[in-house]
Amino acid sequence: MSDHIDGPRSIGDPPTDVTDLFAFKSPENPDRIVFVANFFPFAGQSALFSNAADYSIVVRQVTQTGMGTKAGFKPIGQELRFTFQFDSLQSHDDGKLHAQKGTCRLPDGRLLSLTVGQESGVTTSDSTVRVFAGLRSDPFFVGWLRDGVWKPVKNLIEGDNILSVVLEVDTSKILHPQDGSLFGVIAETTSRVSKNSSHANFQRYDWVGRPEQTNFILFMPGKTDLSDLWNQQTPFALSQELIPLFRQRLTDSLSQWDRNDDKQQWDDASLEAHVNIRLNDFLLIDVAKPTSDTSYLEIEKSAIEARPHTTGGGRTLNAKDIDILVTWLANRDQGPFWQSPATQATKPGGTRFPYVQPPNLETTRITRHIDVQAPPERVWEIIGDFGSVWHPLVANLTLTGQGIGQLRRIETVDGKVFVERLSGRDETKKVLNYTMISGIPADIYEGQMSVEPNGSGSRISWTINFRHAGMAGFILDITISTLIYTGMAALQAKFGSAQ
Amino acid sequence: MNAKNIRFAYCPTVTQGHIAILNHESALAHYWSVLSQWPERPGTVLQIVEEESKRSQFFTDVSALDRLVALCRARYATYPEQPETHILAARTASIRHHFDQASTHVYTAQKLGAAADEIEEIRLTLDQATGGSPEALLTAREAYARQRPSLQNLVLLAALYAEHYEIELAEQTYLQALASYNELSPFPLAWICFQLGMLWGETAPDTDTEQATYWYQQAVDYLPGYTHASVHLAEIYLNAGDHTQALALLHANLQSGDPEVFWRLEQIAYSQGHTQEAQRYHALAADTYERLLTRHALAFADHAAEFYLSEGNQEQELQRGFCLAKLNLSNRSTLRAFELTYEGACAVGDLVQASQIQAQARNKFGRDKAFGFSVFSERSI
Repeated sequence: MSDHIDGPRSIGDPPTDVTDLFAFKSPENPDRIVFVANFFPFAGQSALFSNAADYSIVVRQVTQTGMGTKAGFKPIGQELRFTFQFDSLQSHDDGKLHAQKGTCRLPDGRLLSLTVGQESGVTTSDSTVRVFAGLRSDPFFVGWLRDGVWKPVKNLIEGDNILSVVLEVDTSKILHPQDGSLFGVIAETTSRVSKNSSHANFQRYDWVGRPEQTNFILFMPGKTDLSDLWNQQTPFALSQELIPLFRQRLTDSLSQWDRNDDKQQWDDASLEAHVNIRLNDFLLIDVAKPTSDTSYLEIEKSAIEARPHTTGGGRTLNAKDIDILVTWLANRDQGPFWQSPATQATKPGGTRFPYVQPPNLETTRITRHIDVQAPPERVWEIIGDFGSVWHPLVANLTLTGQGIGQLRRIETVDGKVFVERLSGRDETKKVLNYTMISGIPADIYEGQMSVEPNGSGSRISWTINFRHAGMAGFILDITISTLIYTGMAALQAKFGSAQ
Repeated sequence: MNAKNIRFAYCPTVTQGHIAILNHESALAHYWSVLSQWPERPGTVLQIVEEESKRSQFFTDVSALDRLVALCRARYATYPEQPETHILAARTASIRHHFDQASTHVYTAQKLGAAADEIEEIRLTLDQATGGSPEALLTAREAYARQRPSLQNLVLLAALYAEHYEIELAEQTYLQALASYNELSPFPLAWICFQLGMLWGETAPDTDTEQATYWYQQAVDYLPGYTHASVHLAEIYLNAGDHTQALALLHANLQSGDPEVFWRLEQIAYSQGHTQEAQRYHALAADTYERLLTRHALAFADHAAEFYLSEGNQEQELQRGFCLAKLNLSNRSTLRAFELTYEGACAVGDLVQASQIQAQARNKFGRDKAFGFSVFSERSI
């Protein structure tokens, strides 16, 4: 997805998997360009950057070498490399871990120190560069799945998070567009050894230019997977030896895409031009022109159609870029737009730095049902009573207050203390809701017990919806699972199992 | 074999263990969350298997097995005709040492069109786990590693060399895996280092405690909380009389729930003359093993057998150990399984069974180099 999990190597090492790259004019200030590079697909809530990799955004001036069937783009000039490095975690004296720190090395050698997750980011003293790094909601969305044919599906990235680095630069002072306003951008992860050194241990783990170059285009079911080979290529300079291999694959794949609607909209010459563009894979942006949610690929398209481009191209966070891409691949924009059900990201990109939205923090839901012989009324007398001591792990229970808002203080047989609050009770539907006030390290904790008729007996349901606070993780899962399972076993024994 | 020189092989710099563990735990939580909300999402199930396997292997998290079993049941109820369902079931059954079940699921997965590579890999793993024909297995493993020289295949080949007492070959292959590694996850490296620790600490006829200590420590350095590595390292310190180091390692791993932690604490307590404390740890270890056996008997039969057959135990526990050893042998006829059962038979004084086991072992492994280093080569009844 974009470049999520796009090769066997990346699968084994998710923090170095480059998932996406975006480039667009800053919504806050049109004199600035924003680059966003994302890593670590399906990152969890505690995800961190590796301390052993370089995370880089590389920008190079690009020139257009031709139009129509000769369309092409070539990098010229030096690369502007912005490299993020992150530290190991350090412990406090009490064993707790500090927030992760890092640095961003700018092309001129300046270092910006940053703290991962610091929302405001950090800015150079001359305000020409501002950076952010941290866990964010994945801004990517895609609604196409290859299952023999391409099927429209709901957003495959719904609810996911990634690790994001955001780089905002003063266009004129950093990119010098007066020398040429067209730029190619890539993002890559490499080992922490200079690529110019002879150290045999330099590794490139992954890189991305345009989205879905590997997953949607280079990968063809039934054919040798070239993703890993591609991911290890040097961006802006593919191996000459391998170009024929990649050229053939791109030609085959793009031809197959063109046949999706049983019409051929790509003639051989234009297809070849498209292949040539893709062999030089970088995200194109013209910093002198506006970018928008529809400008993605406009530069490439215009080049092949032999007309000047009118937008800055690039790729904004909210562009329906995959639908734009597949439409162009399938019918060269000469047929219906391939609109998938995925119309936006879980949290669409914002208009303020760092533009990528805070992470999705998931809750865990544990539910258990049991069927018992007793009728609902009898069961409700017990579980519907907020002060009833029926759970075998409860040693003491004290109530404070009455009605909604009532508190119960529970002391367990092993000495723990919980305080819970009655948040809802429906006598007719026989549903009781409560929340945890203290005693369990969760920043969301909602419980519900209910009973409903089931034949001559009842079905009892107990659900706890919670979210870990800090690193509580699996211990919390097990604690709550045990609470539910033990309690339900006691209720089953009390009310008799249904036949 | 240059056993007395410590080879400080190049150990790559990778992601810090604390970071890798946080990433692993939080990714796993996320996959489970995704699965609960969107069961059909492609790839989620196999990601869960991957991460839960890590929890089981590195952190002795037995609840990982429980979760995988529950996941298998749920998938089978909903998607019985998907090859992914049977691959999941095969892998889970294999981790739990339900090898017959695993084979059945592999066969079904193959019929349903699972990738040939995946089928072949699981079959080889099952053959190795169940003690297939030694020569044929080694030939197959070597060929597989030549065709697909991935880190995993090299390590599994090295482990097989070790079982055959080809110590130099085993070490070379482990070091080859180490040298070939160019990723950033510390998990595979910790695994290789642990295997090297086992090679020099337990397998090699001339054990080398210094090397074993070095490699176990490397494993723990790569992955803090790597329970097996910590416990084996603690055992080395214990045997050397360094109770302070041993206790530090064991106490750091008490939360893991690994009964071997209690077992080693028992040994330390006895050696310090704290009999009551030792008995308490012994009871904890026994209790924990029994709880594990009720849930995953085949996976823990051999470990529990070793515990119950250890020196100083009472008759009842020795009988329990012998029974568990036989259960393990019935499930996987490896040379080690034969050895353990033979030790059990001797411990309870059943010389008839001991003789039978020896004969069976000789029949299967008599021509193998490893047999010459086994307990059978020194005894005759």
